[in-house]
Formats: sequence, C-alpha cells, structure tokens
Amino acid sequence: MSVCFFLGALSSLLAWWSVRLSLITGHLAALAGAMAGLSVSLGILLGNSANKLSLPLPSFFPFARQSLVVDGLSAYFLLVISIVAIAATVYGPAYLQAHSPEAGPARRATQVLALNVFLACMVLLCCAGDALTFILCWEGMTLSSYALVVSDDQDGENARAGLLYMIMTHAGTAMLLVSFLALTERAGAFDFASIRMAANGLDGTTRSVLFFLALVGFATKAGVVPLHVWLPRAHPAAPSHVSALMSGVMLKVAIYGILRFGFDLLAPVAEPLPPAWGWTVLILGTSSAVLGVLYALQQHDLKRLLAFHSVENIGIILIGVGLAMILWRREDAGGSLATLALTAALLHTVNHAAFKGLLFLGAGSVLCRTHVRNMEELGGLARHMPWTAGLFLLGAVAISALPPLNGFVSEWLTFQAILGGASRFHGPSGLAIVFSAAMLALTGGLAAACFVKAFGVTFLGRPRTSHAEHAIEAPLSMLLGMGWLAALCVFLGVAPGFAMTLLDAPTIGLLHSLGASAIVTAHGPLVLSTALATPGGISGTTISMTMLAILIAALLPLAWMLRRGLRTAPQRVAPTWTCGMVPTARFDYTATAFAKPLRRIFAAIYRPRREVIRETAGTPYVIRRMQYTGDVVDLAETQIYHRIHYGITAISQAIRDHSTGRIHVYIGFVLGALFLSLLLFGGGQR
Amino acid sequence: MTGDKPLGIVLIEMCILVILGPLVTGIIQKIKARLQNRQGAGILQPYFDLIKLLGKGTVQADTASGFFRSIPVLVLATTVAAGALVPVVQSGPPAFPLGDALMLLGLLALARFLTAVGALDAGGAFGGMGASREMTIAPLVEPVLMMVVFSTALAVGSTELGILAEQRGTSWILAWRAADFLGLAAMLVLLPAETGRIPVDNPDTHLELTMLHEGMLLEHSGPGLGCMLLASHTRQIVTLGLAAALFFPIGPVGAGVTGLLLGLCTFALKILVLAVYLALIESSYAKLRLFQVPQYLGIGFVLALMSLALRIL
Repeated sequence: MSVCFFLGALSSLLAWWSVRLSLITGHLAALAGAMAGLSVSLGILLGNSANKLSLPLPSFFPFARQSLVVDGLSAYFLLVISIVAIAATVYGPAYLQAHSPEAGPARRATQVLALNVFLACMVLLCCAGDALTFILCWEGMTLSSYALVVSDDQDGENARAGLLYMIMTHAGTAMLLVSFLALTERAGAFDFASIRMAANGLDGTTRSVLFFLALVGFATKAGVVPLHVWLPRAHPAAPSHVSALMSGVMLKVAIYGILRFGFDLLAPVAEPLPPAWGWTVLILGTSSAVLGVLYALQQHDLKRLLAFHSVENIGIILIGVGLAMILWRREDAGGSLATLALTAALLHTVNHAAFKGLLFLGAGSVLCRTHVRNMEELGGLARHMPWTAGLFLLGAVAISALPPLNGFVSEWLTFQAILGGASRFHGPSGLAIVFSAAMLALTGGLAAACFVKAFGVTFLGRPRTSHAEHAIEAPLSMLLGMGWLAALCVFLGVAPGFAMTLLDAPTIGLLHSLGASAIVTAHGPLVLSTALATPGGISGTTISMTMLAILIAALLPLAWMLRRGLRTAPQRVAPTWTCGMVPTARFDYTATAFAKPLRRIFAAIYRPRREVIRETAGTPYVIRRMQYTGDVVDLAETQIYHRIHYGITAISQAIRDHSTGRIHVYIGFVLGALFLSLLLFGGGQR
Repeated sequence: MTGDKPLGIVLIEMCILVILGPLVTGIIQKIKARLQNRQGAGILQPYFDLIKLLGKGTVQADTASGFFRSIPVLVLATTVAAGALVPVVQSGPPAFPLGDALMLLGLLALARFLTAVGALDAGGAFGGMGASREMTIAPLVEPVLMMVVFSTALAVGSTELGILAEQRGTSWILAWRAADFLGLAAMLVLLPAETGRIPVDNPDTHLELTMLHEGMLLEHSGPGLGCMLLASHTRQIVTLGLAAALFFPIGPVGAGVTGLLLGLCTFALKILVLAVYLALIESSYAKLRLFQVPQYLGIGFVLALMSLALRIL
C-alpha cells in the first residue's frame, strides 16, 4: 500500500517530462494505494474481531523500534481514509487540469508529491504502532497539507491562511509532543504496548494532565471551537479534492487520536475514565456543533461555508465520543449505552467523510467551471450542471441530518444515546446531557437552513454573473468521484445495518464490551434498535431505514400521478411574476438576505456590523447610489485571539522600549535565564 | 421493540390521515368563520379546491430548473410517509418497525427543506423571502419539539410513538405528573408554529409582510400546487396526531373491526379538540412580528426545559 503512495510520489518527478502524465500516474498510484487500504481494512474489520496485523518497520533510528499495528480502530479509520481517497484521486486530475490549466511542471509536481505524501502519512498515522511513527506521520501530514494549501496561491491570501494553519497546528503538536514524551520517558520505549503498560502506573492527576495536553493537540487539528480559526481559512484554500480530504479525513485522524489516547493508551485498567474527560469533550463538542453551524450560516464563500460545517460535524462526533467517555464502565453490567454512543460517533465519522467529501467535490466542480467561490456571484447553475447540482443536493440533504440519508442515522443514534444517558444520570448532569440534545436538534435545523441557502443561491434562480451563465457540466471522471460518495451516502442511509458489522471491531477493541452490531442490529440488519434500561424495565426504540425508504419509493409514483393531474391540461412557461417589472437576477434572494433573520435573532453571538453609505441627490428622498457592507465576527477570534494578539504586541512593544541595543546585556539575559532554569529544574537529576 | 400491529393497519392509518387532512383544515376554517360572524365555506371546501387544482393546467416559471417539477412529488411523498408513523386507530408498535418520533420530525423537516429549495428555484423575491423565514423559524421550533418528545420519552424509555401512545392509554390525566402538564403546555405553544398558523404564520394570506409558508408556494400552480396543498393538510394532521399520541390516550383498544372503528372515532375526537384549539387561538390573537416569534417560541422552550428538568431531577 505504501509502495503505491511511494510510486505516486515518484511519479511527480515525471512532471518535468510531461505534466499530464505525471498528474494521471500520480493520482492512479494514490488510487491504487487507497484501494489497497480499503481491502486491508475490510479484511481486518470483517474478520475475527481480535484480528490484528502488525508489521515491524525497518529501523531508521537507533533509539526506537518502529512498527505498524492495525487493530480494529486503526482499520476503521483506514477505511474512512480510503473511501474519501478513492473519490478524491478519481476526481483530482480532471479538476486540476480544469481549474488551473496554466500551472507549470513545478507546481504540478508539488501538488502530486504532496498529495501522495499526505495520503501516505494519514494512512501510516492510523496504523502507527509506536509514538515515533505517530508523531512523524502527524508532522508529515501537516507539512504536506500545508504545501497543498499554498500550492494554489494567487494573491497571497492562501499563503496567509497556510501560515496561520502552520502556527496553530504546530502549537497543538507541541502539546501533543509533551504528552507523548512524558509517556515514552516513563515507558522507556516508543511502542504503544509499553506506553500502555507505563500508563497503568500513573496517578490520576498526571493521567488527566497528559490527556488534556493531547486533547488540546488533537482539538487544534480537528478544528474544535475555540481552536478552529485556522480551519475555515486553510480548507477552502487547498484544491477542492484536497479540501475534501482535509475536511473529510484529516480531521478524523484527530478524532482517531482522541479515541486512541482516551480509550486505549491512557485509560485506567478496569475503572471508568475520569469524569472531567468526558464532560470536557461533550461540552467542546456541543459548542463546536452550534457555533460551527451558526458561523457557517453567515458565510457566502461556498467552500468556507463547508469548512465551517466541518467544525459543526466534528462537534457532533465529539458529542458521541464524550457521551461514550462519560458512560463507559459507569453503567450496570450488560449496559449498552457507551457502545451506542461510540457507534454513533464512529458512524458519523464515516458519514461525514462521505457527505462532506461529496459537497467539497461538488463545490470544486462549481469552482473549476466558474472560478468563483462567492455564492452571490453564482446562481442558476442547476440548468447548466444538472448532475453536479443533483449530487450536491443529495449531499446537502445528507448533511442536514434528514432521512432517508446517512446523516440522519448517526444523529438518530446520538439522540438515542443521549436519551439513554439522560435516563441513566439523574440530576444536573442528566439535564446537561439533554441540553446537548436540544443543541444538537438546533444544529440540525440550522444546517438545513444553511444548505437551503447554499444550494438555492448557488444552483437555483437566475445566473447573477456571466461566470455562472457560461458554466458547463463537469467532466465524467469528476462526476464519478462524486457519484461514488453519493452512492455511499445512500447506502449508509438506506441500509445502515449492513455497515454495523464493520463497527464491531473498533467498538469491541476500545470498550471491551458488546460490539455495535450486537446492540444496534440485534433484530437483523434491516432494523436499527436500541435497548434502554429504565426504571420500568427494558424498553427501546426500533426503526428501519430500509422500510422507510421502500415506503417513500412506493409513494413517489402515486404522488407523481397526482402531480400529472386528473386530466391533460395545457402547460405554459412564463416569466416569474415580479410585481410588473422585468425580472432580472437582482430579484433573486441573495445569501445575505436569506440569512438575515437568523443574523438578527442570534445577534448576541454574531455581533453583526453594518454600514450603509447613501449618496443622495439634493434631498434625502432621492438616492443615487447606495453601498452596503456588513459582516459578522467570529467570537473566538475577537474575544480570544485578538486579545492574545494585543497582549503579545503590548509586551513586545514594552520590551522594545527597554531594549538598549547593547549585545553584552542580551548575553547577560541569556546567561541569567540559563542559570535560573538550571537552578529550578536541575535539582531532580542529582 | 416489535409489536403486533400488522403492516396493513399502518398503511390504512396512513390513508386515513391523508384523507382526513383537508377536512381538519375545513373544520378550522369553518370555526374561524363562525367566530368572525361569517357563514364561511363548507367544511368540505378544501377537497373541492384540491380537485379543482388537480384538473387545471400549469404555468411554470421560465427560470425554474428541472428540480422544480419534482418538488411537489417529493414533498407529498415524504409528508405522507411521515403519516405512516403516527398511531391512529391502534396503539402499540407495528409488527415491522418503521420509524419513531425523531424520524417523523426528520421527515417533516425533509419536506420543509425541499419546499424551501423549490421556493428559491423560481427566482422571485417572494419565494426567497418565504424560504428564508420558514428556515429561520423551523430551526427554533425543532429543538423545542424534540425536547417535548424527550420529556415524554424519558418516562417510557422509547421514542417510538406507538409505545408512547400505549403508555399514555394506561395512565390518563389522574396519573399525570407536573412534567406532563408542562410538556403539554409546551406542545400547545408549538402547535401553531408547526402547523403554520397565527400567531406565527398566517395561512390565509399571500401578503408579503405576514406570510411564511404560503410565500414558498407562490410559483407552484395547477396539480403541483394541489400536491403542495395536500402535503400541507397532511402535515397539519400529522403534527396534531403527534401531539395526540404524546399526550392523549388512544382510547379503548379492541380487537377486530369494532375496536378499530372505536379507535378511529377517538382519534377523530382528539384531532377535533386540537383543531378547535387551533381555530380559537387563530381567532383570538394577532400575528406576531417575525422577530417576536423567537420570544414566543422561548416560552415553549422554557416550558419544555422545565418539563424535562422535572422528569430528570
């Protein structure tokens, strides 16, 4: 598998000979790698649940033995990566050609090389069996995705986004590194098995400190509020199929890290996890979900809107993870709630990968045909790009958590887990859990509103500019890439029971209790069910997505017959009525106008700013020209980052005021600092 | 939890809902007319309207894309499918599981999503305005409705409407606790919002200042409009059915045809009570300004939250 990625990376060298050839071979090699990853992960997930694949790596470093270990959790995330990678590599060549045909061999080579390195690093990261490989791949993933973010730079905007991305993720990586080094130092070795052993001897405080350090590191990468500010800038800047990978997969790698640390490496042997862990994750998840979707609503840049939705969906996944952490080993024997919550989180992981990948690819098709990302300049694309529009609509329904598609299934499971959790915990904690359910419902509704806006303004109505007017349908290979993900969305929505067996290995591996399919598909693969232990005995809920889909499919022809009418009557096409004026594109509702009521209702969070400049002719009643500007602020950005920024600026200003420019004073400072640190920290070594 | 309600009865219940849907609208209109000292149209008028529309030709906006024609079909099918999830004549879960209260809310949300998408298709400002407002109110209603469902579901441990209705059938108002009353109050606050009636929306007008849902239907015509209207009627009765299943007992559950008929009568009675409630509210209040609706829904939110808190604490 890694051979394929290596070949793909090599093929970037071909770019100096033929750009096109390098593009195609590079992506083909990555596709082959993804296929290999898919087969490996399916082999492990469908096999015996205790199945593990371990593979020692040749040692590059004298101090550490490196290895790859693929257990259930690794294989599951490998599967998620492979699924999106297949779509992205099928989609990629045609997209890059269509989007930037003028790119020279150097840029193409960088893109192909970075894509292959990026995929290889993500795959190896999930399979890493030791801390060193994990950290190396983590860093490789960051660097290669940075290269991809800045590869498409025209106006310096992307370079700035890339810089912010680098700074934020490296700050996170530093936290992660501290956590890892503390563990490896205790274990005396790098492999996870020794770390696990060493973690057994930790006391509660150290354990929690290490977990929270790692959590900050992973949360930065996952784009959890308030560490998300890099995400909506960096993701849209990359080429669209890379955006799909970054949003659909790279964030999931951080989720993998949280699960690996929380349930595996740092988990106490037979006790529940410290309550602070789960509650922190739950609160972070809830706030990410709500704030992510609220900010997404006010975006007019299609790809940026999607990036904010990634923040939201990571939040939904973290709600499931947090619930699982809270409930794990806290229920009575035979309890199934932790498994249910973890199943919901893992299922939402693959679901989000599928529909977010699909939506980013759809946005990419729009971008490469119109070269416009601002929705206000699009419109009417559904008539020129019907297939792209249809696939985008499918993705929009899926991400809004509407039945019968996959987003609904995982949110349903999350709701059921929340309901179970609330009946398990009485008192304020139960109420907090239910409150997160209400927030989740709010998130779903707002996501639907946001995607009505995104789809309606981009694809429907009249074209607002000539870019949108002259768009043509995307080439077949791009549609194929989207079609694969759309098929997955439908499959995971209509027959989710069949996917539950894939979740067995990770849930059993992490929680050491019942597997997902034993709980959720206890009544056969066509039925999803939950069993809750309540004071009045065991009860539960069962639904069948398959039956519902059949019902809707059966109702469609009946409704179509009604739609045809009782008798054949004339059908006319006429212009839309616009109060007697000639209809133009300016009558169409804009994205800003669409989101305006919600902007007013949630003004406390948005802090909207608007500025209207009127140019009047003599009297205030005759307006010649009017200019409106308005925007909303990101609360995290203004309240946290700008303050930090001002603080740092103020301190550096103060230092500058007192700096004399004499070199021996500086040397004195350095020596003093060295002396002080030796005095403070050197004591332990004696 | 699989029960013993055969699939046939589920389908019959679905048909009953679709058939009775326009009647509920007709009754509400009649009561409103009487309260306004008017004679009013007959209660069967919505049926005549539907038949008239289904026989008419269509005028389609020239800017509308291919999606536009299929929107009424999709909306009607999803709304009717939601009707299959409401227990009507017999409580208890169906023999083959179909969906629960969350699924019902999801299907109604899907219908709303598609309607709003269709409204943006024609490219007129009215459609966009309607869609924008509807999608503003809906995300605020949904969480509260979800909390009301949860408040009832927590006592039973299931979100399946059949089980919830069955549970309610065995414990009528004497056995109610404070949480149930608060939940019912929240539901009554939400009902006008979810069925698109005053004080949240005004179903009788196409005036741009007041409309939400109607604005989205402006560009539909002929059979397409008929489908959309039928979907609205069905949506209304489904929402009332949800409230009935959550808070009213299903009545005597007898075997055989008489039992089913009795069930049907009690269902009709419950829906009638709720319909009268809607008509009274609509006749005695003015429509709220759009930006006051969140405060109004806030009442529902607080009630639902208190209901949940009492249930959990």
